[in-house]
Amino acid sequence: MRYPDHVAAGGNQPPAADLTNPLSIDSANSTDGSKVFSAMNCDGCHGGGALGWVGPSLVDGRWRYGGTDGAMFQSIFYGRPRGMPAYGGIMSPGAIWKVVAYIRAQPVPANVPTEGWVSTGERRP
Amino acid sequence: MRLGSLILICLPILQGNTQRDDGQWTMPGKNNAATRYSGLAQITVANAPRLKPVWSFSTGTLGGHEGQPLVVGSTMYVVTPFPNVLYAFDLTREGYPLKWKYRPEVNPTALGIACCDAINRGAVYADGKIIYNLLDGHTVAVDAASGREVWKTQIGDMQQGETTPMAPFVAGNRVIVGPSGGEFGIYGWVKGLDVATGKILWTAHNMGPDSLMLARPGRGHYIGDPNIGVSTWEGDSWRRGGAPVWGWISYDPQLDLIYFGTGNPGPYNTEQRPGENKWTNSVLARRPGDGSLVWAYQFTPHDSWDFDSNAEMILVDLVVGGRMRKVLVHFDKNGFAYTIDRVTGELLVAEPFANVTWAKGINKRTGLPVVDTTKTTGASRGNVKGICPSLEGGKSPASPSAYSPRTGWFYTATNNLCMNFEAAPVTRIPGTPYIGATTPYMPGPGGNMGEFIAWDAARGRKVWGIKEKFPVWSGSVVTAGDVVFFGTLDGWFKAADAKTGRQLWKFKVGSGVVGAPISFRGPDGKQYIAVYAGIGGDWFLLSGDVRSDDPADVRPPADFAPDLARHTSQGGIVWIFGL
Repeated sequence: MRYPDHVAAGGNQPPAADLTNPLSIDSANSTDGSKVFSAMNCDGCHGGGALGWVGPSLVDGRWRYGGTDGAMFQSIFYGRPRGMPAYGGIMSPGAIWKVVAYIRAQPVPANVPTEGWVSTGERRP
Repeated sequence: MRLGSLILICLPILQGNTQRDDGQWTMPGKNNAATRYSGLAQITVANAPRLKPVWSFSTGTLGGHEGQPLVVGSTMYVVTPFPNVLYAFDLTREGYPLKWKYRPEVNPTALGIACCDAINRGAVYADGKIIYNLLDGHTVAVDAASGREVWKTQIGDMQQGETTPMAPFVAGNRVIVGPSGGEFGIYGWVKGLDVATGKILWTAHNMGPDSLMLARPGRGHYIGDPNIGVSTWEGDSWRRGGAPVWGWISYDPQLDLIYFGTGNPGPYNTEQRPGENKWTNSVLARRPGDGSLVWAYQFTPHDSWDFDSNAEMILVDLVVGGRMRKVLVHFDKNGFAYTIDRVTGELLVAEPFANVTWAKGINKRTGLPVVDTTKTTGASRGNVKGICPSLEGGKSPASPSAYSPRTGWFYTATNNLCMNFEAAPVTRIPGTPYIGATTPYMPGPGGNMGEFIAWDAARGRKVWGIKEKFPVWSGSVVTAGDVVFFGTLDGWFKAADAKTGRQLWKFKVGSGVVGAPISFRGPDGKQYIAVYAGIGGDWFLLSGDVRSDDPADVRPPADFAPDLARHTSQGGIVWIFGL
């Protein structure tokens, strides 16, 4: 498992094969994945549309544990610290990849970093 | 502390307004009756405008700061949200430095099983120990003098979706605790632990067969039919039926009854659990010694709306209908305020304290709500619109109210929110949510999303109210100086005249207030007010944009409260105010 955004001691990434999603990000896989997302109660923690609830938003383009195909698969299969359950005992890899396809298919908001309340038309001296 | 308990037993008036206040705050609700009334009167309507901050301390944690500090003698005790550090502050020294801090081992997996943020609702002092719950399903007892851990008992099972943020209650030598997990399909319970050793002495479930509910029909005032905790459910749906106990507990030592509310049935999709679903959304009266059930009353049968009944049961003696009655008063999530005879469970008063559309009223003769069936929900009913109150409730159980024996009124936070509710079928997978509903909110009529009110529980009517832009989610304390305190989600801590509702003072405390203020007498003889600042609880979920600490979790604002994050972020500060 490689995390491209981790610092690698000495600048050398460890040898590893990254998993990649065998499914394409198309509307059929995404629709299937959204059904699995509800059936497995993912929406109960991550919110409808994966917008975030108890668990973090999955559609803000940011990843606590990595956003590569392999990192997302690992998060779902093995679980993660701070409360993400491990689903590998009840979900097949095929079902997990459909959820990954669903999440990847969701649009990421264009202007995530800044939330503003003052109109941009305000003049300053 | 023991002397204080004897005095309470001997006096005919339960709430203790005829005795001198000892200036401490040794249990979450101040006393067994949970009145949150302070007999201290140095702070008055006249001088409250001169209140100033005396001290502050960052807890070092960022979860929602619900609950309240304790003051025992000259030490203040603070339990933080996860990771549930216990601080002991020396009030005799300038700057109130720590005597010690206790850092329990607590499992961060709990963060994903707790539905509603990493909160903790506080500790209780008993038998020389500070006793509280860790989020991950354990109760701990810490020696109040040394900070040494005395016992740690596992009470909940995270694999089944149980977490434990509630504040324990001590009645006699029993520590009473309960689980959260109404969103995880738990099989809800309360347990009685031995205060000296932490050993679990009894477990009483809130539904299921009488043997597991510790119910004996025909004993005491319990009028339930045999096995009503099974017959009001379909099949074995009671085994995953919820009924968490995540709120507050009170105790009448003369009647030897503890009173507490149970939470919602699971799942939210009603069609998976036909029947009245007893005893979810109910008040239960049990014996603390062995847990046996003496009476029960259900506020919202076959709940369609997540109207948990975990709010406090405040025990007072009130003249109702011309007669002095021993009652409990309860502001339910369902928007009705109830006055109930606490000896027998007879319903005396039930009037709306918030905007209500799901029911036209409560039938006092049958005790049943008169439900507007166009507002009932279920998977086959699609999106049901315009249900008031929202599932935050007319008041959240997380926001405990207060009672003044001087005015005879109750003081409480309220929410003015409504919701749409769309249910869907859901499967219970242990350790994952068991909900089955989407429930967006919108502000209620009037434009203000909250109001802090004074309530006459004998007549069932509001006396005065302070409207707030955001829902009011703090607890309250009211004093013998006739000053009442509450806090707002946008970070103001406020004082008002308990008789008139005139605002006297406010201070911006650095983060939204979701905890409960207390009042105590310091070693210097002066009266102080203490409160936590640190928005969270449900507000961490609903207004995720108040988060600043996690670059990987960036959320849009809540559409019904788009500018909350303009006024507050998460925080964790203990404040003390004085003259």
